[in-house]
Amino acid sequence: MGKIAREDTLTPQKIISPEGVTKSPERTYYPFWYTTHIMTPIIEVRDLRKTFRAKQKQAGLRGSLRSLVRPVFREVEAVSGVNFSVDPGERIAFIGPNGAGKSTTIKMMTGILVPTSGSILCKGLDPSRERKLLSRHVGTVFGQKPQLWYHLPAIDTYELFSRIYDLPRNAYRERLDFLVKAFEIAHLLETPVRKLSLGERMRCEITASLLHRPSVLFLDEPTIGLDVVAKLQIREVIRDLNEKEGVTIFLTSHDAGDIESLAHRTMVINHGRLMFDDSTDRFRNRYVTSKTIELHLDEDASRFDFNEGTVTERGKHSITIELPSGSKSVERLLQYTVENFQLKDLNIFEPPMEEIISRMYQAQAALVNTPDWACEQLTETPPLIS
Amino acid sequence: MRIRKYLSVAKISVTERFHHSSNLIGRAMVVVFRIWIFATLYRATYKSVGATMINGIDVAGVVWMLALTQLFRQSAWPSVSSLIDEEVKSGALAYSINRPYSYQLFHFASYAGRTGPNLLVNVATASIAAYIFVGPLHLTIASVLAAIVLLGMSYILDFLFNFSIGMLAFWVEDTSAFQWIYFKGQLIFGGLILPLTLFPAGLRAVGERLPFAAMYYSASRLLVQFDEKLFEQYLVTQCVWIAIASAIAIVLFRKGVRNVELNGG
Repeated sequence: MGKIAREDTLTPQKIISPEGVTKSPERTYYPFWYTTHIMTPIIEVRDLRKTFRAKQKQAGLRGSLRSLVRPVFREVEAVSGVNFSVDPGERIAFIGPNGAGKSTTIKMMTGILVPTSGSILCKGLDPSRERKLLSRHVGTVFGQKPQLWYHLPAIDTYELFSRIYDLPRNAYRERLDFLVKAFEIAHLLETPVRKLSLGERMRCEITASLLHRPSVLFLDEPTIGLDVVAKLQIREVIRDLNEKEGVTIFLTSHDAGDIESLAHRTMVINHGRLMFDDSTDRFRNRYVTSKTIELHLDEDASRFDFNEGTVTERGKHSITIELPSGSKSVERLLQYTVENFQLKDLNIFEPPMEEIISRMYQAQAALVNTPDWACEQLTETPPLIS
Repeated sequence: MRIRKYLSVAKISVTERFHHSSNLIGRAMVVVFRIWIFATLYRATYKSVGATMINGIDVAGVVWMLALTQLFRQSAWPSVSSLIDEEVKSGALAYSINRPYSYQLFHFASYAGRTGPNLLVNVATASIAAYIFVGPLHLTIASVLAAIVLLGMSYILDFLFNFSIGMLAFWVEDTSAFQWIYFKGQLIFGGLILPLTLFPAGLRAVGERLPFAAMYYSASRLLVQFDEKLFEQYLVTQCVWIAIASAIAIVLFRKGVRNVELNGG
């Protein structure tokens, strides 16, 4: 099935309704100069749902006994009717708060979990039925789960994977050389994995996932807990693989840096429903509208008087200010601070995902209240993505 | 099916076992300690009833039988069921189930790779210990060949039961209760503390048809005292139980993979 491929900066905006909104809020706005060409999606997800049964237990011993005699289960819908498709070579951030359904969706796309209903096609294969075949085409990195043999050096696991994926010896060595150079892990190959730092281990883990040259790489929080240098290196290699080899990247992360530097397109999921699917630029401009800067000073902060942004917290030697993103106000704030104070430390925070989601709901509520005739005027071409 | 990938899995398991050499030797020493206890205990038991033979087996035979059964079973450590249980709990299953191989054969190859080095070290240490405590074991070609066949089948049978118990992790939060029941079955009917030869005739007849006796006890029993009829009986029992256990393992795996609920999404 064909689908319209989009230029990253020219993508239409789309907001998808959460449950409970009665008036159809699904409106897509396409500018008239929007150019298209037909491309076969590498991933197609249609009305995907996953329901888990969670055992409920009341507190205390009595609750435990009651649960033993008469267990009570609650159905939890982790993913509720998600639709999207991904073109080859796209770099996608799939984000949302904890428990939103990100990992569950990835695990269904890779065949680890079986959907309750709906369909997935990844590389033209049904993951739940053709998991083994699909595993040759996809790579997975789960940031919090190890795949390397813990007591052995990483090279032993690479050797094993080369056999498991039936890689020809020369192709394997060539690939390994390339990845070892890219991730700068030559000196780590013969060290037992248990003795590696988290950053070193993650670089080795991602290498293991890329040995068989997957055409789709699923990354589930690959940079969690890593330092800035390790994050930058991992992002650079992933971007490089996407640009040079056309590897499709499907990333979940809570790190705004990962999303901004890696993803062209961002999808936001909350309570198992897709809330937003558009370019990362548009996502940032629309919802990541502010940054919080925390300044620690060597002097009394009471005389701190910067005329932009909002002071959200003022301590004796510290001050927290919220500034609009994308403006030069951060630069001006820093200039003001170093000119007038002794700056001890500074932290910059993106708004938490919960706040972004809340802004989305607000934007959507406003959209639902917009009359239909106004929306029609905004729509230049019919929506092409479900 | 490409056998090379499974040989590689077995190879990496062997490599990992030798990385745990202190653990390997430590566990072998436990077997030595148990043999000493059995030697002391059964010498006292035989002496108290004033017999040199009970059901055709002397003290040395009993101790060798127990020592061999213990070391054969000990060599299959850590159990496949506990490893699968851990895989499901930690979510590592997301990787292990998602590769171009048979998940069952992957675990079997890994199990074979672990068992090999364990068996070598355990046979060496336990044999020396049993020799010192109760004297030599008189082997014949027939007894050795029969034991090799039965032992190979025992490991397959033990794997299948353990794999099936591990599969239960797809439904229950913790499989340790099932592992415990299985181990107690092995302890009582598997000849780990009392050889079936010393059981009353009726109970022995039942025990010999259960899967537990058909495992490691069968090999050690025939190594100590070869009996062609018993060999045939054990072989048939093993084949029947392997067929049953295979069916259970296949059904549980097929149903289990559709029921995966990994922790943390």
